[in-house]
This record gives sequence, structure tokens and C-alpha cells, in this order.
Amino acid sequence: MPLDTSTTYPLTKLRLDGRRWNELRLLQAQISTNPASSGSSYLAMGNTAIICSVHGPAEGRRGDASGGSAGSSGAVVEVDVNVAGFAGVDRKRRAGGSDKQSSRIGTILRSAFQSHLHTYLYPHSTISIHVSVLSADGSLLAAAVNACTLALVDAGIPMPGLLCACTAGMSGSASTPRDPTNDFLDPLLDLSLPEEQELPFLTVGTTTTVPVGEAAMIHDDEDEMKVSMLTMDSKVHCSYVETMLAVGIDGCKQIREILEGVIKKSARR
Amino acid sequence: MKSLRRDLSSNPQAQNVTSKIFVRSTKSGKVQKIVRELYLRQDIPCSSKLCSVCPSVAPADANGNITPFVLSEQPAGTKAFPRGHYLVPDTNALLNGMDLFEHTGAFYDVIILQTVLEELRNQSLPLYNRLLSLIKTDEKRFYLFFNEFRLETHVRRGPDESINDRNDRAVRAVAKWYMGHLLSTAKKSKKERSIPAIVVITDDKENLRKSKEENITALSLTDYVSGLEDSDRLLDMINESREAREAKGARGELFYPEYYTMSKLQTGLRAGTLHQGVFNVSPYNYLEGSVNVPAFDKPLLILGRDNSNRAISGDVVVIEVLPKDQWKTPSTKLVDEEAVTKNDNPDAEDNEAVVTERERKALQEEVKKAHGKNSEGRPQPTAKVVGVMKRNWRQYVGHVDSSSAGSQTSSSRRQQNVFVLPMDKRVPKIRLRTRQAADLMGQRILVTIDAWDRDSRYPTGHFIRSLGELETKGAETEALLLEYDVQYKPFPKAVLDCLPAEGHDWRVPASKDDIGWKGRRDLRDLLICSIDPPGCQDIDDALHARPLPNGNFEVGVHIADVSHFVKPNNAMDLEASQRGTTVYLVDKRIDMLPHLLGTDLCSLKPYVERYAFSVLWEMTPNAEVVSADFTKSVIRSREAFSYEKAQKRIDDPKQTDELTESMRTLLRFSKILRQKRMDAGALNLASPEVRIEADNDEVGDPLADVKTKAMLETNSLVEEFMLHANITVATKIYSTFSQTAMLRRHATPPPQNFEELINQLTKKRDLRLDVSSSRALADSLDRCVDAQNPFFNTLVRILATRCMTSAEYFVAGAHAESEFRHYGLASPIYTHFTSPIRRYADLLVHRQLASAIGYEGEDGRAVVEGVMTRNRLEDICRNINYRHRNAQFAGRASIEYYVGQALKARGEKMAADGVDGGIEEEGYVMRVFENGVVVFVPRFGIEGVVRLEDFVLPKDAALRTVAERRELVVRRQSDFDSEEYTLRVSDKGDADQAHGVSVELFQKVNVNVSSVKEEGGRGAGKRRVRILILGQGA
Repeated sequence: MPLDTSTTYPLTKLRLDGRRWNELRLLQAQISTNPASSGSSYLAMGNTAIICSVHGPAEGRRGDASGGSAGSSGAVVEVDVNVAGFAGVDRKRRAGGSDKQSSRIGTILRSAFQSHLHTYLYPHSTISIHVSVLSADGSLLAAAVNACTLALVDAGIPMPGLLCACTAGMSGSASTPRDPTNDFLDPLLDLSLPEEQELPFLTVGTTTTVPVGEAAMIHDDEDEMKVSMLTMDSKVHCSYVETMLAVGIDGCKQIREILEGVIKKSARR
Repeated sequence: MKSLRRDLSSNPQAQNVTSKIFVRSTKSGKVQKIVRELYLRQDIPCSSKLCSVCPSVAPADANGNITPFVLSEQPAGTKAFPRGHYLVPDTNALLNGMDLFEHTGAFYDVIILQTVLEELRNQSLPLYNRLLSLIKTDEKRFYLFFNEFRLETHVRRGPDESINDRNDRAVRAVAKWYMGHLLSTAKKSKKERSIPAIVVITDDKENLRKSKEENITALSLTDYVSGLEDSDRLLDMINESREAREAKGARGELFYPEYYTMSKLQTGLRAGTLHQGVFNVSPYNYLEGSVNVPAFDKPLLILGRDNSNRAISGDVVVIEVLPKDQWKTPSTKLVDEEAVTKNDNPDAEDNEAVVTERERKALQEEVKKAHGKNSEGRPQPTAKVVGVMKRNWRQYVGHVDSSSAGSQTSSSRRQQNVFVLPMDKRVPKIRLRTRQAADLMGQRILVTIDAWDRDSRYPTGHFIRSLGELETKGAETEALLLEYDVQYKPFPKAVLDCLPAEGHDWRVPASKDDIGWKGRRDLRDLLICSIDPPGCQDIDDALHARPLPNGNFEVGVHIADVSHFVKPNNAMDLEASQRGTTVYLVDKRIDMLPHLLGTDLCSLKPYVERYAFSVLWEMTPNAEVVSADFTKSVIRSREAFSYEKAQKRIDDPKQTDELTESMRTLLRFSKILRQKRMDAGALNLASPEVRIEADNDEVGDPLADVKTKAMLETNSLVEEFMLHANITVATKIYSTFSQTAMLRRHATPPPQNFEELINQLTKKRDLRLDVSSSRALADSLDRCVDAQNPFFNTLVRILATRCMTSAEYFVAGAHAESEFRHYGLASPIYTHFTSPIRRYADLLVHRQLASAIGYEGEDGRAVVEGVMTRNRLEDICRNINYRHRNAQFAGRASIEYYVGQALKARGEKMAADGVDGGIEEEGYVMRVFENGVVVFVPRFGIEGVVRLEDFVLPKDAALRTVAERRELVVRRQSDFDSEEYTLRVSDKGDADQAHGVSVELFQKVNVNVSSVKEEGGRGAGKRRVRILILGQGA
């Protein structure tokens, strides 16, 4: 039985994998990995690895319930998530269709990108995103958001800025109210799977609008960051949410820089 | 298509990422391969105060704090290491010597490696937890070094390397790194003279050899300890089991059957052929154990050493039921381990058999009984232990059996085996290897069991520390506290920091606008008083009653508002939830809350204003409750009475002031309430309690302090209103927290518990006990009277109480509402609300009630303070039930010890006057065995075993000393009738009826009680209360 965060973290301030509280895992990404698609990406956050490909915008399918009226004002985003049977610790046979976890991720991704992308440019069309999880080691949703962002950029679909996501958790007994006099609880950034199973955490996604037009001329250091996605499945006392959110947003900022680097590098080539 | 492989070369950070791969198997037998990332870093500090580099790179946590450095600049050294040393133990060193590492005399500045901690966790969870708490304390200076994450000390497992070799290599790598690191970074001025040595402590020979090759100082635990001062004492603390196993491996003589394999046990449990339960040993017969399993309604008997197969009382065992022809009735004989095995030699293992001849004889007689005249009786199923799921070994208090130590002890320091007799009779003797046998003689010592192997008749253990001389007050009190797991250490600083800063000067704020008054009702003008035992300092409760204009009465119960001072989840709250209850010993009180709160700020002392939590009822003159109200309040108690004083004041017709009148009203109401409760079927139970008034003067008779508890009307006055308040509060919190209300229940005892008692009463007194309901039981207990024997009724009540289950705390969601019943009080719902100073459950109930009535508190958080998850509450319930039970045991044991000491003091005084020791009293026979009886002496509240030799026959009335009486054993014969519960004792060959003594169950006998010390022979130096039966009571 390996050690766990809750007992050793307060003693050493080191997490199970040797990170500090505010460090991301090693994030690596490539884009245009799949030439057959409109846009594609590969992204690995630690041992969580995801490939994502985007098709479209293409003409909306006939007979699709949403294709008719809803699509008239803009493109419809479809997301299909597939978690590979070998992605987890146990090899699972998935008998077709999707399980609860992947359909949930799919729903969140769809609503996040439906409102994020400038879909009004493509009426009566569909943008379909395929996410394949090759290996799952925590922060699955956050990694999927980041992979989709890269693939969508690769596909050239206009958006106001990069949508970057990250997880933040809270160690210690975060389900009881915070005691201001005697508080040894610590937030953690970018949780791995063992940490996710142990601690309450949330996933936050932010957008920083890329200045266009006249605004681009005025050099403004102040980032106009906007939280555009926030989910939490675990229970945590409300007094901790603020701290967790702040840590998560900080992580998103770091991720944005990495993703921008990846995009710029591939553009240079 | 691009390659998706990780391209690590381009990323500078990535070079420090490696991964850890391990394989584990799950419970269901699946094998999983786990891959975890490891981020290697260079900012993990060495934590030595000598280092000049690490403090600057040590990273901060989320709050900006840097963990303070632990290891001292000038660590302690030994002769071999004059400049001091840092210790680096490996896993085995910790496994064998955890008690040493906890010792306050040595082992400071220790570096615990992550590798070692992880390995220790896999090997032994209790040791891991002990190590963690060591690391958390500051004074021992233990530093947890995460070596696997430091770039320099990370070790990769080689292709053919075993995991143990790899871990040993990791330990050496750390030692090497520390040496180099300290050499290069130590502050310049001190560099030359005082760089401490790094000493690896390992018991692995291969590791020692390799360390030598690599120029690392490494010592085995024994070698290291030998170099310390006081080494003899410390050496005894090393775990024996490993060495012994190696030494004896070749001999291979096995006394006990092997346990089944885990998979076989699990299959058996699932199939229902094996059963799991807690192993309990009978206090009267150490060879007889019992296990309660759900499949049988009576406990399964486990007879003899080979059937109990190394299980020790308290272990969770797996048992197999024996075939029906081996079923037996429970023992009718008293068997004492000390008596049967007194001659066993701790050294001689060779000619030992599991069941010695003597033990076999003791058992055989029982088999005879089972098949003899009693064959129409009810043989009980028997079983044998085939596996142990969980050892519940703890540390045991005991003393060295002086007869087991060799004769040459006084001078030599030779290591020898001795037996330790644990205080708990149900635990077998423990074999101990020690060099200091002579010093330990006559001491109360703390030992622990290391192992019980198949090739050893007794468990082996090691010495932890000495508590002091036998029979000294300090040693015996500490022994009691350790034995019942009472936490008696002083409150740590973190707890004391939670107290109000004003200390004893804290006052209720004068201005009503103060935040402390928020939500509180001003009840200072009510005539409130408290009634408690004399000398009580922690006053939990106070009462008042006053007439209302409409002819009804307002009755109030006011409870100390502890929850105002103890906020959830701070250090004080956690400590209190650990302690669970205040423990009362005869001359000592171990508080649940710090003194300042318990006896001053919370205590509802008279004449001062105090915060309280009040329950107010409007009652009709017939004590019918019209309405109930709960509120936080401020009160001022007018007087603190003792029970006697209150009683006197009420009885004194001259006192007609308002306060006395209100007390009279309360008394009148309490009688009505009590009658109502009795009509509902509440039980009037009895326990054999005496009270010790410790303010004894040296001159008087020491026994005069021992008093049986007197029940005054005022006692029951307070009790009734507390019960009533508890029930009212229970209803209220349950209506708000239907899942998480903290309640207390007393389960209806299963009728088979009473079978034996019913049978006895029918046979001996022709009385019928109806146990169909608590009402029926209460009525039939009332009918159990004997005109000649006024105590008989109490005796039956004591015995009936023992047949019942004990009451317990629980969370409302854990049981169906119909199961909430409190059987003894005949109330459908109950909780504890009235003693928050001394019980943690009450404190939780206070928070829940505050939340239920919408009290916001000073910071508006009181509403959420009452809210807790059910899981957490269930954990707390488990703990406080356990603590509560232990506190009761400890209190009783303390009284028992005090009575023994009082008898001893009296005996000595009498002896000085040339009079024979001992005091003559009345006793009652509680149980009859084949070779003795158990007698209860109400005057002292003690029960004791009377053996055959302690029956005083007319012929030998003059013989009184222990030695003289012992010689009588061989001549005695007994005639035991298990159907009629009678025992006739006479001398062998003497048929004259007049020369024998015959006793029967429930009989009143005259006894002589004295305290005697065993001289020589078994259990020498041990004091016990001896009871002699002088004859039938008048």
C-alpha cells in the first residue's frame, strides 16, 4: 500500500508524485497529428493522454433533430468521447456505446464549446469533435478541454481565445467549516488519479480574449480572464471554494502559456 | 502521421520526470500494474540547522510558510561519535525497536526516509501510525526526508535487484548524500569541528557489509544501543521475535496447529463452515474462552490451549465448530493460570507439551461432568480457533513472576528468560528476555507481546518501561490508566492555546449589547441552585422551579454551555473527542477538558454569572408538561448544595424562603416523574458500588472511608430532571436531524441471556423472573424478596444487570426508529445532554440542539457547527462508547485497589496491636463452582473467589496464615451439585456432617476479609484480597 496525500502532505509539503502544491504535471502537446481531419491534437498531462480530432464545420446532417431549427442560427457542436479500454488500471471491455463517465465529459465539452466558439459564422453546419482517451490518470476533463482547444485551433475555427482548463483540489478535512485561527489546509493544483480519489476537487476553465482590432494596438498587460466553465462533483465546505478557484485559475494561466507555445511552434514550421 | 511518442529531449523539465512502476494484487485476486510519475527535484531540504544552503531554497506551502528545520545543530552523540550523529534507520530497525525510538532517553535527530516509511506501512500499520506521531512531535526531532523525490538520492531498481536490496541501497544513497551535503554546506565557522556523523542503523548483514565497502557508518540496532548509556535497559526493549525465530528455526518443535491460509479462511467464512468473532476468555477459568458468532444464539465455547491456539483475549479469530460429540457444558470449576502452571520454566522449551498433564486433568474432569449425571443438561457447542484475522494485542501491565527468575539473579547481568504475569487475568503469561531481571523484581512494568509462534507455549514479548514499585500509589494508578487505555498525559500546548485568553478572569460581558449576549436569554433573576456530590468542582447542571400566574409551574434545567468555549475541529475539540469522557478514580480525576474550563469557566459555580444552555418546561401541578422551550442563557446560581445539605434544607420546616420552596416543588415533581417512569416499566437496577471518601485522617480506621452509596431523595431529584431533560432534548434533535442526531439506546436483551438466572431463581427460591418486557421484568424483580435476607433483592438486581447488554451511543440513521428504545429507562428515545463538561457526547448534542433552535452564536456559525456527516459521527460514537466503558472499568478497578489498600492498612495496624488481621463481614454467594464459590461482600463492593482451602472448618479455625491454609488443599474434598447449586466442603475421609461446611447459591455467609501478600511459590509478592468463609450467615 503506497503512502497517501492526507497523511504525508502536511509533514513534507510534497505530493505523492513529488510535486509542490502549485505545480502542474508535465504537459506536452502537439497539433496536426492526424492529417485526415480538419484539425487534430495530442495532449498529455502527466500520464493522462488524449488525442482529439475535429471534423467540420460541415453541412448539418438531415434528419438530425437539432439540424433543422437550432442549427439555423449557427453551427452545432457535437462531441464524442471514447475512453479506451486500456486507459485505466483495469482493462475494461466496453460493449459499444458510451459509459456514464465519457458521456458526462462529452456533455460538458459540448456545452462548453458550443458557447465558446463563434458558431454564428457557420449556420446550418456541424462541428464534430472526437476525443479519445488513451490513458487516464486524473484531470481527465481538464485535459480533454485543452486537447479540444488545440484541435479546434488547428481546424481554424474562430474563437475569442484559448479555453484552458485545470483541476484544483483541497487536502485535509475540507468538508468541515474552515477555522480561521487554526487552519492547516492546503489547496493542490492539477490532481492525479490517486489524489482525485482521495480529495475533493473542481475543474475550472478560463478564456482570455485575444485582443483584436483597435484593442490590439493598446498594449494592455491586464489579462481579461473569464471563467467560462466550472464543474465540481465532490462535496467541499463552501469556505474553501474561493481558494480552490483561485488556485485553479492560476493553473489555467500557466496552461495557456504552454498551449500558446505549442501553437506558435507549429505555426513557425 | 506524426509520431506521438513523448519527445523528452526538447523539454528541459522533462528530464527530471521518471516513473515508478509497481504491481499489486487486489482483494479479488486481480493483478494490477500501476504506473506513477515521479517528479525529481532539488529543493527538498536536508532540514539540518547546520546547513547554509537548504533554508534559502526550501519552498513555501500555499500559506507562504516554510516548514521549520528539525535536526539539531549539536546532536547528541555517543562515545563512538563524539561530534554527535544523525541516525538513519532502515525498516527492520524500526520494526524491531519502535519502543526504543519512542524512548525519551535516546534516539534524537533521526532521519526517516520515505522509502522506509512506505515499507513500514506495508509491514505494520500500527507501527506506521506510531512513527507518524513521532515525526509530528517536535521534541524528538524526527525528520521525514522524501528521498525518492530528491534527484540525488533517487534510486532506480536494477534489473536483477530484489526490492529489499533496492531499498537498502536507497538508505545508503541517502547516508552518502547527507555526508557530502553537510560537509559542503555547513556554516563555515563550525565546519571543522562539528559535522555530525550519519549513522545508518540496519540489522541486515548484507547491508552492513556493503556500507562498510562504501565507507558509510552502519551499525546494527543492538550494537548501536550497546554503545549508549543505560544500555541494559534499552536492550530489553528490542523486539525479540525475529532473533528468537532465527535461533530456534532448526529445532522445529511445534506445539500448536498451524493456522489455515487466508484464502481457506475466506472461503470457509463465505461458505458458512467457519465463523468469525471476538475471542473472550472467562475471568474464572483461563482455559475457557468463548466467541459470539451470529450463526449461534449462544456463545461458542473454546476449551483448552490447543483449541484456543494462541488466541489472546480480544483477538478477532476464525473458528471451526467441533463435532457434536465433543460439545460440553461450560466449566463449573475455577482454574487459575498461576496455580496450574506455576512450575513452568521459562527457559526449558524442550520438554514442553502444549497441554501439560495438570491442564489435561483440569479439563478431563469437565468432560466427565458433561457426560455424567448432567447429560440431560444442555451441552454447548464447542469450537477451535483455526485462524486469527486481527490481533488486538496492546501493551500490558504486569509484574515479573519472581519464581520464574533464576536464583543467581541478584548479581549477574546475564540475559535470562522470565515470565511476566499480566494484571489482566485473561491474558496468558508473557515470556520476556531480560538482563535486568533483578531490577524488575517487585516493579509494575509495561510489556508488549511481539509474537506467539507455533513452537512456543507462551507468547514472547519485550519490556517497555517500568512504572514504579508494586503497590505504590503512583505506579498502580498509572497501571490502571494504561490498562484501560485512558489518556492521562497533560494537555498539549495546542489544546491550551484554544482556551480563552482571559483565563480565570473571564466574565460574562456586563453589557447586554455585547456580542456574547446575542441570542441569549437573561435568566439571572431566577433562583437557580445546583445539587451535586460533596466536593464536586465540575458543576454541569443547575435547576429551578417557580410558580406561574396561571397556576402552573415553570421548571428549568440549566446545563453548562461548554459548546460556547469548545469550537468544533480545533485542537481542544479533537482532544476531547479522543478522550471522550472524564475518568474518575478514587484520588484522581482525568479531565476531558482542561481544568480552566471544567472547574471554572463552564462550571455553574454559585454567586457568579455563567453561560448556560437551558431547558424550560411549563408543568401543571401534576407534573404534566404543557410546553418545553430551549434557549441559550445567562444564569447566576444562588447556591451549590451537596445532596445531604439540600436534603437537610428541604426537611427543615423552619426554612421557608423562596429557594427552599422551589426545591420542595422540584422534589415533589421529581417524585411524580419517577412514579410515571416506573409505571412505564423503567428498571431499578443495582450495581455493587461503594464510595470512597478520600479525606481520611491518618489516625482513624482506614476502612471507615469505604461507604456504600446512600440514595437520598435529592439524588433522585436531580436524576429525574436530568432524565427528563435528556428525553426532551433527544426528541427535539431527532426532529431536526433525522439521520445524524446523536442518541443513546439500550437494546432489549435477548431472553437467552437470562436463562441461567431464571433457572437459578426457580431452583433455589421458587421465584419466577418474567423477562418478556422491561415492565414485566421490573415487576418480577420487585417480587424477588427474601424475608430473612433483605439484601437478596439487591443481589438479584446485580445479577440481572449483568445479563443485559450495555447502553450505547449511536447516530439516528444507524438504526430503525423502533430500535431507539432505552430498555432500562423505558423511554422510546434518549440521549445525553446534561454533562457536557465530562462527556463528549453531550457536547455534540449541545451543538446539535443549538443548531436545531436556530441559535447563531457570536459569529453566526453555531448553526453549522451542529452539522456533521454521519460517517464522522459514527466514528466518534465508536470511540466514545469504548472510552465510556473503559472509564467505568477504570473507576471500579480504582475503588477495588483502594479497598485492598485500606484492608492492608488496617491489617498492619491490627498486627501491630497483636490482633489477627482481617475483618468479619457478611457476604453473599453469587456463583458456585466445583472447587470454590464466588462471594460478594456488599460492605466493600467487592466480589472474590473462595477456594476450598479458604473454607474455615470447625477443626482448623485457628489456622489463618496463607501458608498454613495452603497445606489444607490436599486434604479437602468437595461435593458439588450443579443442579442444586450447592457445594459441600469437608476434610477427606471425614464423614461427620458436623465437620463440613455446606454453601449454596444466594446464601448469606459470614466471611473474613483481609489483604494478604503471597509469600514464595506462585505469584510471590502479589497482594490480593482474601476472603475466608467462616460459616453460614445468621
